[in-house]
Amino acid sequence: MPDQVQDLLLDETTYVPPVRKADWLMRIGVSIVTLVIFLALFGPYIGPYDPTRTTIRIAVPPPGLTEIPGLLAGWIGGTLEYPPHWMGTDANGYDIFSRVIAAPRTDLKIALLANILSLITGVFFGLVAGYWRNWGTELLIRVSDVLQSFPVFIMAMVLVALAGRSATNIIIALAFVYTPIYLRLTRAEVLGQTSRGFVEAARAMGNSELSIALRHVLPNSLTPALIQSSVTIGFAILLTAGLSFVGAGVRPPTPEWGLMISTGANQIVLGEWWPSVFPGLAISLTVFGFAVLGNALERRYERG
Amino acid sequence: MNGDNPLLRVRDLKVGYEVPGDLIVPVEGVSFDLNPHEVVGLIGDAGSGKSTTALALMGLARPPGKILGGSVEFGGRDLLTLPDAEIREIRGRDIGIIVQNPRAALNPMLRVGRQIGFAYRAHNEATEAAARAHAIDMLRLVGINDPERRVEAYAHELSGGMAQRALIAMALSSTPKLLIADEPTSGLDVTIQAQFLDEMWQTVQKTGSAMLLVTQELGVIANFCDRVLVLHKGRIVEDAPVRQFFAEPQHPYSQEVLRFYHERASGYPEQVTGGAGFLRTDALTKHFPLRGSDKVVQAVDKVTISVAKGEAVGLVGESGSGKTTVGRCLMRLEHPTAGAVILDGQDITALNAAEMRKMRSRMQIVFQDPFDSVNPRWTVADILDEPLRVHEGGDKAARRERAVAALKQVDLDPSLMIAKPRDLGASTLQRINIARALICNPDFVVLDEPTSVLAPRARNSLIALLARLQKELGISYLFISHDLTTVRYLCQRVAVMYLGQIVEEGSVEQVFTAPQHPYSRALLSAHLMPDPTNRRVDNPVPAALEGEIPSPIDVPKGCYLASRCPHVTDACRANPQVLTDLGQGRAVRCERVVAGEITLQEAAHD
Repeated sequence: MPDQVQDLLLDETTYVPPVRKADWLMRIGVSIVTLVIFLALFGPYIGPYDPTRTTIRIAVPPPGLTEIPGLLAGWIGGTLEYPPHWMGTDANGYDIFSRVIAAPRTDLKIALLANILSLITGVFFGLVAGYWRNWGTELLIRVSDVLQSFPVFIMAMVLVALAGRSATNIIIALAFVYTPIYLRLTRAEVLGQTSRGFVEAARAMGNSELSIALRHVLPNSLTPALIQSSVTIGFAILLTAGLSFVGAGVRPPTPEWGLMISTGANQIVLGEWWPSVFPGLAISLTVFGFAVLGNALERRYERG
Repeated sequence: MNGDNPLLRVRDLKVGYEVPGDLIVPVEGVSFDLNPHEVVGLIGDAGSGKSTTALALMGLARPPGKILGGSVEFGGRDLLTLPDAEIREIRGRDIGIIVQNPRAALNPMLRVGRQIGFAYRAHNEATEAAARAHAIDMLRLVGINDPERRVEAYAHELSGGMAQRALIAMALSSTPKLLIADEPTSGLDVTIQAQFLDEMWQTVQKTGSAMLLVTQELGVIANFCDRVLVLHKGRIVEDAPVRQFFAEPQHPYSQEVLRFYHERASGYPEQVTGGAGFLRTDALTKHFPLRGSDKVVQAVDKVTISVAKGEAVGLVGESGSGKTTVGRCLMRLEHPTAGAVILDGQDITALNAAEMRKMRSRMQIVFQDPFDSVNPRWTVADILDEPLRVHEGGDKAARRERAVAALKQVDLDPSLMIAKPRDLGASTLQRINIARALICNPDFVVLDEPTSVLAPRARNSLIALLARLQKELGISYLFISHDLTTVRYLCQRVAVMYLGQIVEEGSVEQVFTAPQHPYSRALLSAHLMPDPTNRRVDNPVPAALEGEIPSPIDVPKGCYLASRCPHVTDACRANPQVLTDLGQGRAVRCERVVAGEITLQEAAHD
C-alpha cells in the first residue's frame, strides 16, 4: 500500500527543523548587486578617464590577452604615456571601460526610482482593491489589466515620445509598466490575509477597518512585492537600456549602457565589436544578478 | 501483562534524525509486547513520538528520520533486519495500518473497490473479479450500506466517515494479524467517531486481529482498549490494564492527564441565580445566499438563547450545526439576517459602526485556532496592547503594566512579552488569546472551541483556567464546543443545536443525565466517557442515528431530524417542530417527547 505510506510521511507530529543549504545562487546574486550599487555610487570617479570627455585616440581595440600583464606592470610602474584603454575606445574616442563602470549611476538610478514608485502605487492600489471589494475596486483591477496587456516596450516608447526624453519621463513610463504587477501580487496576498483569524480578531477588538488594513493586513502582505522588486529592478535596467537603444532614452553623452550599444552598433560592420559587446555584457550580468537574487529570496521566503 | 508468546515484541526501539551538529531522538528506547487478540491503546502528547513509533513498527521512518536501533520481533522475525522484499510482504498482509486523514490516504483517481482489490491482490493470488467480490465483502463487513454501489465510488464521493471505513476495509483486506490505527478518528464528529470505533472494534474481534490504537483521547482508551501504553518523551512510562490505569495511574504524567477526570467526578457546577437574560438573542437567523442561485444556506434558524450574568452556557452540536455562526452573529462578525442580539438591554444589531466599536470592549471572542488569531509579526506585548490602545489609549507604560498583569492572570510568565507567536506552543498562545480577550474587562466572552486543537493535558488546564477566571471576574461565557466532557465541567446550562436550530436546552445536569430529544440522546450516547468501568464495548451498541446530517440548503419541511430519527412518524415529517418549554429552564423541540409518547430510557451516563 504505497499510497498510505506516502501520506503517513506527510503527517507531521514531530518538528523537524528545515535543513538550510548554503545557497550559492543567493551569493552570486548578492555579489553582483553589491558591485552594481558600488559602481552607481563611485563609478564615475574611479575610471581612468572622464566618461563624458573624448580622447584623441579613436576606435582603439582592447588589448589582447597577452598584452595585459605588460600593460598592468607599466601602468602600476607609471612608465606608460597614458592609462591603458582596457576595453578600447569608440568611434568618438570615449574610453569604453570608464563609461561602462560609470553607467550604473544612470541605469540603476532610473530603475530604482521607477521600482520604488511602482512599488508604492501598486501596493497601495493592491491593498485597496483586495481589502475593499466593490465595483469601484473591480474597475481598478480591470484598468490595470488593460495596462498590463500592452506590450511593455511599445508602451514605454509611446510615453517617452509623448512626454519627452528625460530621466524623469523614463522613470514615469517604467512605473506605469510595473505598477500593475505589484497591484496584482499585493491584491492576491491581501485576499488571503483578509480571511485570517487575526483580522477577525482585530475586528472583534473594535479596530476600524482602516486600522485593520494598515496595521494587520498590509505588513503581512508585503513579502511577495518586496521579493518581486529585485526582479523588477533588473528588468527595468534592461528596459532603460532598450529605450536608449531605440533613441527614446537618455541623451548622449550621458554614460548609459543602452546608448553605448546603440552608438557602437554602427561600427560592428567595420569589425569594431568592442564598443557594443562590453556594455552588453554589463547589462546581461546585472539583470542576471538581480533576477537570481530575486529567485533566491523567493525560495527562501516560501520555505518559511 | 506480557504474555508468554506475544504477537509483537518491541525492544529498545530508537528513531532519530540528524540536524547539523546534533542528533535528535524523538523515540528513545521503546519496549512493549502486544498479544494476539488484544486491543492496546498508545497515548501521549503531541510530539511524544506516537506516530513515529507506529511507523517504526513497520520498519518505516519519515525522512530525515532513521531507525537507529532496537528490534521489532513479529512472528519470531526481527522486522528491522529483514530484507526489503520480505518486509514489504509483511506490510499490508500481516500488519495493516489506518492513518489520520482518510480522504488523503485514498487515491483520488481510483475507484474504492479497485484500491481495496489492489491491496488484496498484492498479497493474495486472485483474479480481478475475485478481488472485486472480496472488496464488496470487506465494505459490507465495515458497515457500509449498499457496498455493490459504493465499490464503484471515487474518494471524493464518500463522506469522511465512509472514506475512513473504506480505509479499514483496505487495511483488513488480507486479514492482518495486527492492525495499527494512528488517531483514526481525529477530525470526525462524535457520533461518527463512536460508530466508526464500534465498527472497527467489532471487525477486529471478528477477524481475530490484534490492534494498536494510537490516540490522545482518554474516552477512546477507556471504552475500547484492554491495555494502555503511555508514551512520554520518547519512552513508554506506563504499561497497565485499562481499569488499573484509570484507577491508579503510576507515572506523574499519567496522573496529570487523569487529574481532571478525577476532580470532575465531584458533581456539576452550581446554577447561577439572578442576572437572567444579560445576553440574549431573539429569533436570531442567518442565511448565506448561494452564488448563482436564489437558494440560501440556512446556517442559523430562529435561535433564541440567553446567558445570565456570570453564567457559562454551552452550545454543542456537530460540525455544520451552525453553532459557530451563532457565536459570530453574537459578536456581529456576521450581520444576522433577522432577529436581535441584546447585551445588557441594548440591541447591538441596531448600533452604528462607531457605537459598535465602542461596544466591543464589553464583549469578546476567543477563536478555535490560536496560531491564526494573532498577527504573526507582532510580539506578545503588541498583541496584548492592541485592545487597550483601541479602547482606552493613555499612557504607554501604564498599558504595558496592564499587559503584564494580564499575562500573569493566565498563569504565564512576563518574560513572554517579547516573544513572537512562532516561538510559542498552541496552549501558551491560546492563553495569550484569552488574556487579550479579557484585558478590557468584558462582561461577555464567546469561546469558540478554544480547546479543540490542544492535547488533552493542555485542554484540561485551559478549561480549569477558564473556570477560575469566570469565578474571579464574574464574566458570562458562551462556550461553543463539540467536546461534551469540557462542557460538562465548565458550563451551568447547555443548548444542543442541530441543523441551525436549538433542539434541546436545560441545565447541564438535566441534559447530561436525561437527554430527551432523540438527537441529544444520540449525541450523548456517542460521547465516550473516560470511564473504563462502564465500557462501550461491554454493552450492547446503542442505536445510532441513520444517515448523515441533511444539507442546510434544502432543509426538510417537518422535523429536521425526521430522516434519521428512530421514533419518526408521518406527523413528524409534515409538521415543523417548535421548541417547547418544559419548565425549570428545560425546553425540547420534539412534539412526541412533549406529548410523552417517547418513553425515557434511563440515561446511559452517570
